[in-house]
Amino acid sequence: MTRLARTLIGAAFASAALVSPIWAQDKGTIYYMVPTLLDEFQTESVNAIESFLAQVGYETVTLNADNKTDIQQSQMNDTVLLNPEAIVIAPVDFNALAPSIEEAREAGIPVMIFDRQITSTEVDFTSVAGTVEIGHVAAGEIQRLLEEKNGSVSGKVLQVLGDPGDPYTLDIQKGFEERMADHPEVEIISLPALQWEASNAGSIVSDQLLANPDIDLIFVHAAHLAVAAVASLESAGKEPGDVMLVSSNGAPVGLDLIRQGWQQVEVEQPLYAQAAAIAMFADKVVNGEEIEPGSYDVLGLEAELTIEEWGPNLKIPGAAITSENVDEPRFWGNLTPPSDPIEPVE
Amino acid sequence: MTAARRATIEFLLDNLVWLMLIVVLIVFSLTVPHFFQFGIFTNILEQSTFVGVMAIGLAIVIISGNLDLSVESTAALSAMVTGLLFATQGIGLGLTLDPAWLLLPVSLGIAMLVGALIGFINGFFVVRVGMAAFIVTLASFIWVRGLVVAISGGRSAQRLPDAIRVVGTEDILGIPLLAWISIACFVIFSILMAKTPFGRYITLVGGNAEATYRAGINSNRILWSSFVVAGLLAGVAGWLLAIRTSGATANLGTGMLFNAFAAVVIGGISLKGGIGKLPGVYAGVLLLYSIHTAINLMGLPAHYTQVILGGLVLAAVLLDTLKLRLREKLL
Repeated sequence: MTRLARTLIGAAFASAALVSPIWAQDKGTIYYMVPTLLDEFQTESVNAIESFLAQVGYETVTLNADNKTDIQQSQMNDTVLLNPEAIVIAPVDFNALAPSIEEAREAGIPVMIFDRQITSTEVDFTSVAGTVEIGHVAAGEIQRLLEEKNGSVSGKVLQVLGDPGDPYTLDIQKGFEERMADHPEVEIISLPALQWEASNAGSIVSDQLLANPDIDLIFVHAAHLAVAAVASLESAGKEPGDVMLVSSNGAPVGLDLIRQGWQQVEVEQPLYAQAAAIAMFADKVVNGEEIEPGSYDVLGLEAELTIEEWGPNLKIPGAAITSENVDEPRFWGNLTPPSDPIEPVE
Repeated sequence: MTAARRATIEFLLDNLVWLMLIVVLIVFSLTVPHFFQFGIFTNILEQSTFVGVMAIGLAIVIISGNLDLSVESTAALSAMVTGLLFATQGIGLGLTLDPAWLLLPVSLGIAMLVGALIGFINGFFVVRVGMAAFIVTLASFIWVRGLVVAISGGRSAQRLPDAIRVVGTEDILGIPLLAWISIACFVIFSILMAKTPFGRYITLVGGNAEATYRAGINSNRILWSSFVVAGLLAGVAGWLLAIRTSGATANLGTGMLFNAFAAVVIGGISLKGGIGKLPGVYAGVLLLYSIHTAINLMGLPAHYTQVILGGLVLAAVLLDTLKLRLREKLL
């Protein structure tokens, strides 16, 4: 029961850290369209966005699309009628939401993009780590790990994607394979875990360990899939380090696997920084003020804001988490929200 | 047609799904690289465990003339409750018992209880309130998954203790313990359905509920218990799933309802009720997971996986339909 008490107390502290004074919520309502609540990144993004926007004076209403594009489109249509100060959206489908975004902006409601980039239509602000870039970071780390193990960037990599209908995983694959193309001596086997379901990932790993017993490294596109991959490795009699493991998104379970020695690298999407950037620029977006390009400090990370065809685009670099830095509180997987208040950009 | 010839044809048609399975395994063994090895066959047995156990309950409800769309979410809830209570990382509370081996029966009991409770609720609305099973269990499919998200907060529970994980890591005669459990479930429930009054009543109710009632059998109780059994087995499937993945995520088991339904239909269970045998369902599950495994091994482009899987399922069901026509023509 000590653990239960610790958990409850920890949850209470985390909630308290993310709760902001009600007096701050006087600038109006912003709607946050979250694509799903079935993954830890998105769940924590709700906490972070609601908390950070409250710190700069906005109340947030979150709508969950259950990973369905049509539901998110309906939510956009309904929200436009409510005339909020702004809409923050992490689109289920990167392009299918473009007409709804255009409709909202025509109605005078600014739209901010969180985490999942839309480039096919103009938006008022974008805060992303870049899914293709996550693939790039993963490729760099995987090249390093293969070189350390084999003496050169060579070997066999099993890439376990998420659902093949999800552009998020396809972008990571694109970025990863772009950077790995320079190393033809690395064989990449790519298979999808349908619906991002963990046991599907586990089955892929079990089968591939038999078909390709010389796999050097497994790269899974989400940390919760890594857990199932480890369960399959354990069932196959493997020990931590026998087959290297790299994952992406930075969820708490991925960090735990690094601490246990099963996983070597977790490529983090800087969730807190991405969410903080939304709050930092909210006033400018809501008031229609000009956003200046340049470098910005977002929770200690250097982010680059550029003006693109689709609007102001803030890119915050993803980080590679290893056993060396896994305990740093800046990683959202450690569930330690930043204590310093968010300040709007002047 | 002689009696012997007739018996042979009947036997072949009754077991066509097993023949299909054998043909598919031979074709895959000859054409798919690395498929023909003992480890792959045990993988197929192991991977079919969860949908297999789930499909037994689903088949029983369908034989009784109803539907249960909630088994996938029920399994997910049982998995999450198991993870939440006993996992040591993530949102797991890491409850311990002394002696540690008690964790195994206690966690299984809780998972079965959770599943049976959902089945009981489904049965109540279908039997007592008189609502359509399709609507009731569709609602349960949604609210139970919602409950999984609610109790987990969208987070995951990881790292079940070794006392529970032993089921997912050990084997007997080279076959994973998980696979033995699903085989045992199929044997027990096949006997239950074929040799006990409960099984016969389920089939009778599914064939003609009115006639069963007039024969003095409490058909409502039979129907209700079929939902409880389906929920209980979904609970077991969820428990096994949690063990396999060493914890639970909010989306665990997503998509398994489709596979369970496909296995039941391929296995020769009539969706109209009253017809079907559980061994055929097991063959259906094995057939499906042979296809899954072959796709994994072939390394097909991600986009085509679902197309191929759906096409192969359709082909299998088509063969089953041809079987029925052949039976009508020949017998």
